[in-house]
Amino acid sequence: MEVIIFIIIVIAALLAIASGIWVAIALVSAISAHRDQANKENNH
Amino acid sequence: MHTISSVVVVTAYVTVLTFVAVRARAALHFTEFSLAGRTLPLALVFGSLCATYVGPAFSIGFVGKGFESGFLFLGIGLAYAVQNILVGLLIAPRLRSLKNCHTLGDAIGQKYDQKCQVVAGIISVGLCAGFAAVMAKAGGIVLTDILGLPSWSAVIIVVAVTTLYTTFGGLRASVITDAFQFTAFAILLPVTLLLVLLFHLSGGAATFVKQASDATALGLGSTSLVNIVGLLAAFLLGETLIPPYANRALASRTTRISRNGFLLAGVFSVVWFTVMISLGIAARSIVPKDTGEDYILLTLVRYTMPAAGYTLLLVVLVSVIMSSLDSLLNAGAVAFAEDIVKPFVNMTDKTALNIGRCATIGIAAIAAAGAVAVPSIISGLLICYTIWAPAILPALIIGLWLKHPRPLAGILSMGVGTLIAIIFQFVSLPIKIPAILMALCVALLAYVLGHCIARPSYLVPRDSLDDGRRTMDE
Repeated sequence: MEVIIFIIIVIAALLAIASGIWVAIALVSAISAHRDQANKENNH
Repeated sequence: MHTISSVVVVTAYVTVLTFVAVRARAALHFTEFSLAGRTLPLALVFGSLCATYVGPAFSIGFVGKGFESGFLFLGIGLAYAVQNILVGLLIAPRLRSLKNCHTLGDAIGQKYDQKCQVVAGIISVGLCAGFAAVMAKAGGIVLTDILGLPSWSAVIIVVAVTTLYTTFGGLRASVITDAFQFTAFAILLPVTLLLVLLFHLSGGAATFVKQASDATALGLGSTSLVNIVGLLAAFLLGETLIPPYANRALASRTTRISRNGFLLAGVFSVVWFTVMISLGIAARSIVPKDTGEDYILLTLVRYTMPAAGYTLLLVVLVSVIMSSLDSLLNAGAVAFAEDIVKPFVNMTDKTALNIGRCATIGIAAIAAAGAVAVPSIISGLLICYTIWAPAILPALIIGLWLKHPRPLAGILSMGVGTLIAIIFQFVSLPIKIPAILMALCVALLAYVLGHCIARPSYLVPRDSLDDGRRTMDE
């Protein structure tokens, strides 16, 4: 029982970290998309 | 040496945050300022929603609760997860499907009439300023701890930096910086938990579970059933669709993204509460027993991390607060321009954008000044929760589901709900029922009364209708 609770908590921490990484990847994509759009607007 | 490393870490963090905010670009149109062009993808809606609701209460506060009462608050926090999931399933898609809708006030205006929109706008702006004052106070407390500044100057720094990027970038800057801040705290605080569990907890899993069991028994013994019901009600209803959440529902790229963003945010809240409560439980065998509830996380990190790591985590705590503050400033400003000014003045897109920017600065100034008057973080938040739920929720939720909601019902519910909730802040109730539930019941009764005595809008002649109301042939 003790080990199960401990494992659940470690899994929760890992899930939170994974969520952070997922949003970080989306953030980098959004920033590069904005940069591409800004470059396109400048060229026009 | 410690001060130098603190300044270096703070400067580096602010530089990266500024870079991210600049990359978000200044908003050129009001639709960009208010709804980020309605182009937000799922990950950003999710990250921004989580960054907005994870404020000081759901980080510093929950660690303190874990220390004091073990897993009790994890159970109570489940009500918050349920609320997010219900909003995702039932309300967010309906809200997103409304056309030309920038705010909750807009939604209420489309369903009822323009008068209801203005009342909803006034309540939204007032509540956003109130919530922002609480966040400003919390930011001031943490920054004072990092740099040793006087409290008033720490509040001004937190509010000024947040206002700067929110004023120019609007919702897009708010969402992009929220995502950055979410990344920082969603990685660093769980990593802190793992490090504490692996290297600082003597006795391992057995000690942790024993501490958890002792603390939970203590928490259940010292909390009455009425208190638990009141907390469950506050977590279930108090933050439901407050303006920043509604803005993110409206700014999603599609209805599906709007729904899934809330569903995932609900699931994440369970994960997050587990991490925060576990940090509090782990702290029981590390931190002195007489440490104040709001200082458990700070003390735990100070005891277990090197100086630079401690500063970095403090900066992350500031960003937890800033990510909530920027969302509130933007939502309040958009509500002011769209719901309070626009119904009376025919303005161009550029004028609306400028009014939104000025309102951001105005609400920030009110929040900084109001931070002094906030009694404490938790009590400040509870006051805002108690007013928000009865003031807006009955009119909004019933309005979204009824085919022909009646404006008198909306006005009565919002007016009476707000009034009763404010009165309950000063008058203690003779019977032990949570104020939020009592005020909500009164608001619902007022709604039913208004609905029964008003004429249905589809029977009113077209000439006598306001702009926002529908006619039978529509």
